[in-house]
Amino acid sequence: MAGLRPIKFRLLELFSDEKEHWNYEIVVQMQKEYNMNSNFGRDSINFDILELASGGMLRSVQSKVDEDGVYKKGFLLHKYIITDFGKTRASDACLAYV
Amino acid sequence: MDIRELKKLENKRKMNKGYMWALFCAILWGIWYIPGTIIWAVPPFDAMWVDIDATHGGSMATIVVALLISAFNALTVIVALLIWNAYLGKLPEMKRTLKEFHPCSKWFFLASIFGGPIAILGSFIAIGFIGAGFAAVAALTYPVIGSILARQWYGEQISKRAWMGILVIIVGGLTIFVGGAIAEISAGNLSYIGYIGGLMAALGWGIEGAIAGKGLDIAEPDVGITIRFLGENLLYWVILIPIAALAGYPILEYALQAFTPLAILVLGFAGITFGFCYVCWYKSFPLIGVGRGQGIGNLYGLCAVIFMYLFMAQVPAWTVLVGGALCVLGSFVMISEETGEMESLRGE
Repeated sequence: MAGLRPIKFRLLELFSDEKEHWNYEIVVQMQKEYNMNSNFGRDSINFDILELASGGMLRSVQSKVDEDGVYKKGFLLHKYIITDFGKTRASDACLAYV
Repeated sequence: MDIRELKKLENKRKMNKGYMWALFCAILWGIWYIPGTIIWAVPPFDAMWVDIDATHGGSMATIVVALLISAFNALTVIVALLIWNAYLGKLPEMKRTLKEFHPCSKWFFLASIFGGPIAILGSFIAIGFIGAGFAAVAALTYPVIGSILARQWYGEQISKRAWMGILVIIVGGLTIFVGGAIAEISAGNLSYIGYIGGLMAALGWGIEGAIAGKGLDIAEPDVGITIRFLGENLLYWVILIPIAALAGYPILEYALQAFTPLAILVLGFAGITFGFCYVCWYKSFPLIGVGRGQGIGNLYGLCAVIFMYLFMAQVPAWTVLVGGALCVLGSFVMISEETGEMESLRGE
């Protein structure tokens, strides 16, 4: 696919609607967009989300245990929202900010 | 287990992963001193030194040979990193990140200036003029610079506990090398260029970490580090080596002679250890922060002593054992910190 931006750019872009998103929803969408359908691709995208949260650009607002195996059974699912710092970094990255 | 406990556990796992990467970095960095030392005695680098020494003196010979070794080191590192990224399937991501020069990849190119010709070359210059002991002591202070800059530039939070750990590791590192450094300095007849080299190493690596942290906010570590070494290769092969050649040094002739099986073997070993040491360093930053990553990375001093003892029979003095114990203590101070509540490394 042409015109794709780096994965963390796109992740911040998806969060820049300032709404809360579950990590598995974002991961599934990213897997489709970047054609990374393997388990390795899935974990690698999820890890990028973790790094963004660790860097203070996303904040976890809600968590639940994945009982039904929508992402990985028994693991924690997180609902994230973009932080002010995340917005600043997103606009640094010249994302079309909504 | 309730959700709060699970969350704590997950955070803890994340921090432990970061510490693990930083520790791998220290081990690989320590191993790197083996090929890094041997290469000076491998043809054509040994003959190159003698050759330049005859015409320009020993000081210039050391600097020019250091330049060529650093350049070949960067070259083998980039080969190792490209294979690594291809294996991970991250080459498309690398292309995407490279294209975003203004918001993103410029940080890695900037990091390559500080990490490459400033820190690595400065380090070799310090080794050449004063000695390996002094060079190592000088470089050990870099996490202080990295931590302060990361705090100033993007408000990275470093707990009192982490600071204490960083300081204990630095004191331990100083104890390891200070005996050798004093001997080297009191051997007299030193050039101030050596001290400048030491300063270049400490400032260069400290600044590199803080700048790279900024780029890593919005890039993947595996990709970021490869772009950083792409920058370093360009600096050496497009700018510095042609300048040295134009200045009349026989650097290109010897560069061409370096493609012998033995030289390639030693340089390849250097590239693999150095390349993956850097991969681990960059992977630890987003997880535990620049300050902690560099603090644990500083255990390279201890690892270097161990590997030099094991493989090159360089027996350490008793001060080294005391210093080594302090290094291990310092890392335990950091790692044992309760990190479950720490969701983000940055203050809001």
